[in-house]
Amino acid sequence: MKELDEKLSLLLDDYADEDIDAVLDEVTADVNLQYRMRRYQMIGEVIRHELPEAIDTDFHHEVMTKIRDQAQSSATTATESAAPLAPTPLTARTWFRPFAGVAVAASVALVTIAMWQPLQQDTDPLDGELANADQQKIQQLGQQLQGSAVQASSRVQSGGMRWKLKNESPVLQQKLNAYLVNHTEYSNSMQGLIPQARVAGFDAQQ
Amino acid sequence: MGTNLLDAELVKRVQNGDTAAFDLLVQKYQHKVINLVGRFVSDKSECQDIAQDAFIKSFRAINSFRGDSQFYTWLYRIAANTAKNYLASRARKSPGYTVDVDDAEHFEGESGLKEYANPENLLLTDEIKATVFSAIEKLPDDLKSAITLREIDGLSYEEIAQVMNCPIGTVRSRIFRARDVIDKELRPLLE
Repeated sequence: MKELDEKLSLLLDDYADEDIDAVLDEVTADVNLQYRMRRYQMIGEVIRHELPEAIDTDFHHEVMTKIRDQAQSSATTATESAAPLAPTPLTARTWFRPFAGVAVAASVALVTIAMWQPLQQDTDPLDGELANADQQKIQQLGQQLQGSAVQASSRVQSGGMRWKLKNESPVLQQKLNAYLVNHTEYSNSMQGLIPQARVAGFDAQQ
Repeated sequence: MGTNLLDAELVKRVQNGDTAAFDLLVQKYQHKVINLVGRFVSDKSECQDIAQDAFIKSFRAINSFRGDSQFYTWLYRIAANTAKNYLASRARKSPGYTVDVDDAEHFEGESGLKEYANPENLLLTDEIKATVFSAIEKLPDDLKSAITLREIDGLSYEEIAQVMNCPIGTVRSRIFRARDVIDKELRPLLE
């Protein structure tokens, strides 16, 4: 017991060691230890002339009784507008913080996706139009070639950047080359490449 | 040390829902808060009620205390504001009661408050002071020096050890023994 009293003395002087929790557990559970602690405290107040001219030994009881009474009355009325009397544990007030962080991250992601889709829509229609224009040109060319000895529809493939001819025909190849040179800027497969480079590329593949 | 580990630990416990820990904080600071309020409010009978209000407010707001300052600094600020608000509201209010001329002589004013500075409490306080000082006078010199250097001069254990030229362990033992001797005299008054 003397050892615990000495720890109380140390605790008051803020020289608590690592077992401060254990000492406080004992103090909060034992009224006699609380009284002893209060008397130790009071000794210092008397020595420093800090004691009021009249002390009320029930002061802390009255404070705690009021706190409990107000807690009970607020619990029974349970009005939402009233401030909660009993302090809610910190954990109860902070549980939502991780969720708030996730919600913010999700919002940012949503906005990013929403912005990305219009951008794609801005580019796709143009590409589509150019591709359709290519197809139309090819069809026209095919019709023009129907008059020649070669069936264009069976000989011309539009996959990739090369014209593949089953039967080599210099006249047809010349027409196709001219067509590619004149229409290469409409191609949707290598946007941004200057026409000369495209032509050079085509020639290199021949 | 001066880091107020005890306060920090008690505050942490209150924030986690341990009301008994707040009781210890009230016991520790009740007289300091009453003295502080007494600097604002001259009527001593009202000081304790205002101090009680200050403690209740601090209990309700304790979760907003983040430990940026010392607990007692925060508590004193609440107490000072409570006292100022009390004075301001009293200045705005009309008395709100009527007193018969015949009763006026015995009327105690607006305080339907408990009279703390009653003769019994005044006597008890005087006895406590006399008992403590008498007990200190009877202490051996080494214990008397240790307790007065700690309580009056506010020296740390390390500083007292230097002044008294003894190990820190001896200082803590002397301070405890001095408190223990005084407590034995004081205890019968407060039981």
